[in-house]
Amino acid sequence: MILRYDGTFAGFLSAVALARERGIKPEAITDREPEQQGLFAAIEEVATDRDRAEELYRLISRTLPSGALQTLRYAFHSCEPGREILLFRYLELGLATGPRFGAMLAHEAVIPVWKLARAVGREAHRYKGLVRFQQLEGGVWYAAMEPDHRILPLIAPHFAARFADQRWIIHDPRRGEAVVFDPARRKWAETSLEVTGPLPLSAGEELFRDLWQRYFDRLAIAERHNPKLQRQNLPLKHRGHLPEFER
Amino acid sequence: MPELTLAEKLEILADGAKYDVSCASSGSSRRNKGGIGNAAQCGICHSWTADGRCVSLLKILLTNACIYDCAYCVNRRSNDTRRVILTPAEVAELTIGFYRRNAIEGLFLSTGVVKDPDHTMELLIEATRILREEHRFNGYIHVKVVPGADLLLVDRLGRLADRVSVNMELPSRESLKLLAPDKSREAIVAPMKRVGELIVQTKEERKVSRKIPPFAPAGQSTQLIVGASGESDLQIVSLAAGLYGRLAMKRVYYSAFIPVNTDERLPTVIGTPPLVREHRLYQADWLMRYYGFAAGELLDEERPNLDLALDPKAGWALRNLHLFPLEVNRAPLELLLRVPGIGVRSAQRIVGARRGGHLSLDDLARLGVVMKRARYFITARGRFGADLAPDAAGLRLRLTERATAKIRWSQPSLFDAATAIDIQSSITGEL
Repeated sequence: MILRYDGTFAGFLSAVALARERGIKPEAITDREPEQQGLFAAIEEVATDRDRAEELYRLISRTLPSGALQTLRYAFHSCEPGREILLFRYLELGLATGPRFGAMLAHEAVIPVWKLARAVGREAHRYKGLVRFQQLEGGVWYAAMEPDHRILPLIAPHFAARFADQRWIIHDPRRGEAVVFDPARRKWAETSLEVTGPLPLSAGEELFRDLWQRYFDRLAIAERHNPKLQRQNLPLKHRGHLPEFER
Repeated sequence: MPELTLAEKLEILADGAKYDVSCASSGSSRRNKGGIGNAAQCGICHSWTADGRCVSLLKILLTNACIYDCAYCVNRRSNDTRRVILTPAEVAELTIGFYRRNAIEGLFLSTGVVKDPDHTMELLIEATRILREEHRFNGYIHVKVVPGADLLLVDRLGRLADRVSVNMELPSRESLKLLAPDKSREAIVAPMKRVGELIVQTKEERKVSRKIPPFAPAGQSTQLIVGASGESDLQIVSLAAGLYGRLAMKRVYYSAFIPVNTDERLPTVIGTPPLVREHRLYQADWLMRYYGFAAGELLDEERPNLDLALDPKAGWALRNLHLFPLEVNRAPLELLLRVPGIGVRSAQRIVGARRGGHLSLDDLARLGVVMKRARYFITARGRFGADLAPDAAGLRLRLTERATAKIRWSQPSLFDAATAIDIQSSITGEL
């Protein structure tokens, strides 16, 4: 049995709730098109049921230690194929074990989920530094980024607190998703967004771009030149939207 | 000479500031109080330069003009370089401009000394004040204290900044006298002591009333140049231990000496700077701050220098083989921390995970233990995972990192003839 859901966290919890009610162990839980799945497995579409999802969420919060909930949330934002079934097994074990679950760090159902959560957490932390805003005509601050995982909702609270007086957008063009912040209401929201063509920049943008590039070039100490260490700390794939690497 | 553009000034002032190695933006959790910015407790890196160092703060000098003539310093009076100065308002504007683009976590402001230390300190305070009060900036600010400035100014600066620092630069009074004749040891240590007192005192006061503004909530730091003078690692590590213990120091940075000036008082460095030595000192420093090691366990009079080929934790383990192998399911956290290949996080995870059941060697690898190193020093469920008993000869060889052999660097010969100078007592005696 393959359960197909809509890709949202509520949808995933609905699928888990359904499996638990029926007492089945699905082969996969996925939001992908059916043709990508095995030929012979039966596919069932799961409708997102908010009430059911919330009920399960409350049960998880009550039963699992708080660190496990955070792990679950971060691991869900990973883009690793097959993550849902790992999360399902993780939840089954956690709900069956209760408070003692926190000590089962070395369990085979826990380790892979913990590793996913760690990778997502690391990338989210990295992008708190790598998101770069440019001011557009009209005053909106725009940043594009292409992370491996779906970290937008994980980093949005950080930027909402930090740039509380700016209208800003953080855009993941590869996934066509964005987070938009409204300083008047102090709220951020997820939205789909596609940008076609270059965006008009505000007047001061060129100056600061030039200042930053020239500043950055001067910072490296020639006697300590070490591009290998630089690549280790900042892999090439993360440099795409950084002005200091665009010439 | 034609007036320089802002970009040209920025280049000159970045050039003068880059040898300061501190880049930390951690340790402060200042909140955004209706303005712009906040400080992230864990610190955030925004980029990495071609030398592999991270960029976290806008690291600039207010001015590269200086009345002093320190032998090692790129900004010394006798160097024939173009001198420029920014106004405090310009410093603030640059900071805000980069910050709004999320290129930095905040400002690291240092400076040459113009006119006198007090005047220079007032300029630094003014730049910080403009940021905090006029721009309502709550991001991270690290400011250098000018040695010799009035201690009341230190007090004012610490109320505005997240971190303050005085660079000790030279580990002993004698080196200081030789290489930085305009600065006295007292002028450096006095503000450090004052900062340490104010940090401790303010923390106490804030327990009673949160209305009292914090004083340098991210603590104070300092920097020591390694390899410009003849001190041993034992002297440097003991000095650092003293600073951590007695002056409420948060971080000591070590900077491999890079000759930016030709000066007969300085050692001649052939090839790369002493980067391996710098690395070993950082490892020793970490062992003291996070792993519970005392300076005396890492170095002593018979071995006054760190082994360049072996990390200091492995070195300690090899000298204390009678303590190993440890059974990971029983050993206390303090001992787990002493196993090569087990870091702070993996030690904590072991302690957490063994409550859920006895751990096997395979479990350890999954928990993040570097088994390549740890297997010689541990057992799990009584099983030992290496072909070599920990007291066997050749273990040292297996733990030695090969790559280090290629790097050449020369020890300064400065004090070879004159080791009669009692550097040791001057370091440990006064702090």
